[in-house]
Amino acid sequence: MTHTFGKLVGAALVAAVLTLSAGPYFDPAQAQSGHAMTAMATSSTRAAGLRSGLNMLFQEHIYLAAAATGAALGGREAEFKAAAGALDANSIAISKAIGSVYGQGAEDAFLPLWRKHIGMVVDYTVGVASNDKTKQDKAVADLIGYTQDFGAFLQSANPNLPKSVVADLVKHHVVTLKAVIDAQASKDQAKTFATLRTAAGHMQMIADPLAEAIVKQFPDKFGG
Amino acid sequence: MGTRWQGTRLVAAVALALGTGSAAAQSPQGVTVQTFQFKPTPIEVAAGSKVTFINQDDITHTVTSGTPESRDGKFSHQLVGKGATATVELTQRGVYPYFCERHRSMRGEIHVK
Repeated sequence: MTHTFGKLVGAALVAAVLTLSAGPYFDPAQAQSGHAMTAMATSSTRAAGLRSGLNMLFQEHIYLAAAATGAALGGREAEFKAAAGALDANSIAISKAIGSVYGQGAEDAFLPLWRKHIGMVVDYTVGVASNDKTKQDKAVADLIGYTQDFGAFLQSANPNLPKSVVADLVKHHVVTLKAVIDAQASKDQAKTFATLRTAAGHMQMIADPLAEAIVKQFPDKFGG
Repeated sequence: MGTRWQGTRLVAAVALALGTGSAAAQSPQGVTVQTFQFKPTPIEVAAGSKVTFINQDDITHTVTSGTPESRDGKFSHQLVGKGATATVELTQRGVYPYFCERHRSMRGEIHVK
């Protein structure tokens, strides 16, 4: 019965992701415009705006990812699809933020790279839902390997971001998000929300150095 | 005298610049792999030309002919880390798509005239 349930959740996850990858996306800039305006109104410098914007996008990534994995593990398919759609819109918004600094080519390269780790998180969630330890272990190994790719991408874009440092920070992102999924699977609500806050809070460790490195790289664009 | 010397140097510099430009036009064409992109793409070369790929990312990429959906087996090279290079020679006219096996969204094309 558990096995059947796991297969059902797995099938729903795969189907939803496939549907979302093929379907049209809503405009993330439009979706984020209210937040962006708030950030602009309270920031006196472009550097501060960049930092707060990246923090908002990366923390949103955590909350939406957790919403998707929670719905998937709970077998709530419609909720999962909606959360996964919002999560992908967030991915596009992050890639556009990268593109606004490094150009369209970098944006186009970043988006599939970013989506790749979300696919691995989906694999891990399916592994948890189906109680498939091998699948879980493979997904974790893939995610750890992915941190090297992500570190290499950012280092290539910005020499102020050493690959090893970025990889370690992203590894911690993987570990903290995994803790959320494990807590959701155990149906421990207190632990779920405690780990969720930790995972979301950690994203500042990625957003702040990224913003600082961009400002250092382009002082004319973001300085003052 | 000084003016003539400076003039000679100027002429020599212009000649060198022109000569360098001419040599560059005849040298193998290059594709840089940077920030998970092949640049430039597409690239146009004459039949029999060599195309050299240089990896500027600190990660392994590959240059594999075809597409992830349809490999054609014409060439496949690993670019293991920053500074790694690989060269392909294409003697037949046509369009040669290629991609990175590790990051399949990375794609490029060589147009052989």
